Amino acid sequence: MTVAADSLAERMRSIVGAGNVLSSPSDLLVYECDGFTIEKNKPDVVVFPNSTADIVAIVKACGELGVPFVPRGAGTSLAGGCLPVGGGVMIALTRMKRILEVNYRDRYAVIEPGVVNLWLTNHLKPQGFHFAPDPSSQGACTIGGNIATNSGGPHTLKYGVTVNHVLGVELVLPDGQVVRSGGPTEDNPGYDLTGVIVGSEGTFGVAAKAWVRITRNPEAYRTLLGVFETVDDATNTISDIIGAGIIPGALEMLDSLILEAVEAAFHFGFPLDAGAVLIMEVDGLDAGLDQDAERIVEIARKNKAREVRKANTEAERLLLWKSRKQAFGAVGRLAPSYCTQDGVVPRTKLPEVLRAIQRIGAKYNLRIANVFHAGDGNIHPILLFDERDAEQVKRVLAASNEILDECIRLGGSVTGEHGIGVEKIDFMPKLFAPEDLAMMMRLRSAFNPDDRCSPHKMLPTAGACIERSHAGRHAAM
Amino acid sequence: MNDTLMNSTTCVIDGFGPLPLVRPNSVADLGDLVRAAAASKSALYPVGGQTKTALGMPPTRPGRTIDLRGLAQVIDFPARDMTITVQAGITMQALRDILEKEKLRLPIDVPEADRATLGGVLATNTSGPRRYGYGTMRDYVIGISALNDEGNEFKAGGRVVKNVAGYDLCKLLVGSLGTLGIITQVTLKLRPLAEQQAVFGLGCESAQLETLLRCLHESRTRPVCLEVLNQAAARIAYTHANLAIPESPWTVLVGYEGNGDAVSWQVQQLVKEVGTDCSLEARVDFPAMPLCHALCEFAAAPHHAVTFKANLLPSEVAAFCVAADQGPLRPAVRAHAGSGIVYGNWSADLTKEQAGSILTTWRERARQGAVIVQRCPSDWKAGLNVWGPAPHDVALMHAIKAKFDPNRIFNPGRFVDGI
Repeated sequence: MTVAADSLAERMRSIVGAGNVLSSPSDLLVYECDGFTIEKNKPDVVVFPNSTADIVAIVKACGELGVPFVPRGAGTSLAGGCLPVGGGVMIALTRMKRILEVNYRDRYAVIEPGVVNLWLTNHLKPQGFHFAPDPSSQGACTIGGNIATNSGGPHTLKYGVTVNHVLGVELVLPDGQVVRSGGPTEDNPGYDLTGVIVGSEGTFGVAAKAWVRITRNPEAYRTLLGVFETVDDATNTISDIIGAGIIPGALEMLDSLILEAVEAAFHFGFPLDAGAVLIMEVDGLDAGLDQDAERIVEIARKNKAREVRKANTEAERLLLWKSRKQAFGAVGRLAPSYCTQDGVVPRTKLPEVLRAIQRIGAKYNLRIANVFHAGDGNIHPILLFDERDAEQVKRVLAASNEILDECIRLGGSVTGEHGIGVEKIDFMPKLFAPEDLAMMMRLRSAFNPDDRCSPHKMLPTAGACIERSHAGRHAAM
Repeated sequence: MNDTLMNSTTCVIDGFGPLPLVRPNSVADLGDLVRAAAASKSALYPVGGQTKTALGMPPTRPGRTIDLRGLAQVIDFPARDMTITVQAGITMQALRDILEKEKLRLPIDVPEADRATLGGVLATNTSGPRRYGYGTMRDYVIGISALNDEGNEFKAGGRVVKNVAGYDLCKLLVGSLGTLGIITQVTLKLRPLAEQQAVFGLGCESAQLETLLRCLHESRTRPVCLEVLNQAAARIAYTHANLAIPESPWTVLVGYEGNGDAVSWQVQQLVKEVGTDCSLEARVDFPAMPLCHALCEFAAAPHHAVTFKANLLPSEVAAFCVAADQGPLRPAVRAHAGSGIVYGNWSADLTKEQAGSILTTWRERARQGAVIVQRCPSDWKAGLNVWGPAPHDVALMHAIKAKFDPNRIFNPGRFVDGI
């Protein structure tokens, strides 16, 4: 920092007005972390632009003053992607929340980055359309944030992740230039910059606008609940369903610990003594669904399902999904704090990784609940603890790291949809060779040559480790 | 391709050459070739089956052509995970044969699959009719390895279907025309083979085309392809499929895939929705295959000397096609209507001047998108601006090229805006 926080705030107020700047320590507290609460650091100033021009002016001022900046949506990400490492200006995009255009004939919408994911889907509902990426936080998270982290959700198995639904982005580069990549048409000549901007975790600039694909709603659903004695039986069912040529809209697994929490919260009627439960949903044209659903029941029975239930009404189906999407909230009943991990393994390695998680939980004396997107092999072990106990925090971190190491060993990845952020930087050299990281750094330097935009994120650099010095972690412990 | 002459030791790329042709059999050998090129400041032109070497500007810098078909091994095929990792020089047909044994597929339509290689398909972002239902290559590449300008292999992505670790260099390399590195290995996400398929041929007049497309767009059915052919294009496709040529000025082909119940319901439903408005012909299961194949191969039809490609909003396709059909020398007009892609194809009778004037008209009509010259005689290219006006984000593209390939080894000058 070369500028005093006061004069920085003053400069920001001159751009966007006093009502769009926060700088008092108590106001800044909210912005010291996202959903990853183990590391915390307050920005010097939070500024709320209302237009692309505002963003340009903010970014240019940061350039003149030599101050880093970091874009932020709703702060629901789980890897510290919008942690203001080293302070500086946080550009909060939540006031740029207009849906600018919806074109049903050409199936796209143009939105500002602060539009909440679910608002767009609700807006499209009367015409029978939706925005396909549906992370569990969709009631709060912004589409700008979805673009930054390339968000997924339960329906990615069939419908893909955010990058498959973003056609173009208007990006304010760290030097204040505005560039537009892509747009409403497909196959634009040149490099697919939209494809790399999505998932760049805010390190390439600030997205000011996006063209997103809108998707027709499925005509109908068949939602089944399979109850299994063991996790192996459930995962074999998943492989067999997909092996039979059926791509379900969603395939979610819940283990016994999570069932306990969800049942206490929602009283759905989940069996508490089951080894695992699968929510299996096929969607699409009504005509083909019974055929698929019958085959799924057959496959589940063949894999020793104790019971296969069908959601008979829309209300039952919605309750089932509510139970799933709010499972994380229900975990609050089990422990005062929890840490969610986000590993990925090849689908067929699910039994192996779940056994490893059980072993690691026992080793560190931690309870670990599992609820996850089984169809894509994307696990979300939830480590239960009490953050007031420093010793427990240490065990949680060690156990998390061991789980992620196991994912790498099984041929997977350390993040399926939450991102690297600051949390997983140390894993990048385990997943990628120096040559791979060097090429990623070359790409970043084309967008963000001075590294003033979201510094010290995603890629490990010598400087990052020193400057971060895990101050937040120490504070949390 | 007429302008790509090849023998065992040299090859002509898009009228430039002859260039020495080398065929490495290992990634290590390929690395040596890159280092040698870097040291001598010469260029490298990676090729596969040479089905698309006419795309882009002709080379201008001396160098070597690298035939990547020596790198064609399957590295890992965990069929139950529905992914495969293969070297990039494998032909699409060889890949298809391997996948079909496990009832799997990569649902990208590629013409000349016995020659076209996976690396070439990726570099040129080839797609076909079923992109409407299944997307394009960018939706299927989950991991990639390539050689950088120092001859070192780098990778991005991984072998799992969902992964957000690191920047997605897969997206950057797909469609980059070999200008950022030489793709060596690819991991693909796969889909099951469809149980059943059907194709509808609907005939209509020019005035009805947009109404019909809108109706199909709003249909309760969910087509995987929505193709528009004018009479000249229909003649090519139906002749290829050994079928009687439709008489109507426009043929709209609607394809369905899925389980048996879903396909037969859609066939009945479509008849209900459009049956009385236009002539209609349905082909279900095996009888659908020759026509599907012909649509896929259409792009490689030998009588096309000149091909333009426009990318538009889907709602603009009908009017654009009708206007193109009425243009000089009656091109074979064909569109992936659901995706907004229109192709015009002309025979060798077209002159350079005519081509230039048609291109200007097409570019004026394509308001939101762009028009590129996908194929034409090499010596026309300097005057035709084959990639069209520079896109909005071209400065960033140049910046990325400069970071990835500062000495301009890889396919220099052939891509957008001289990249």
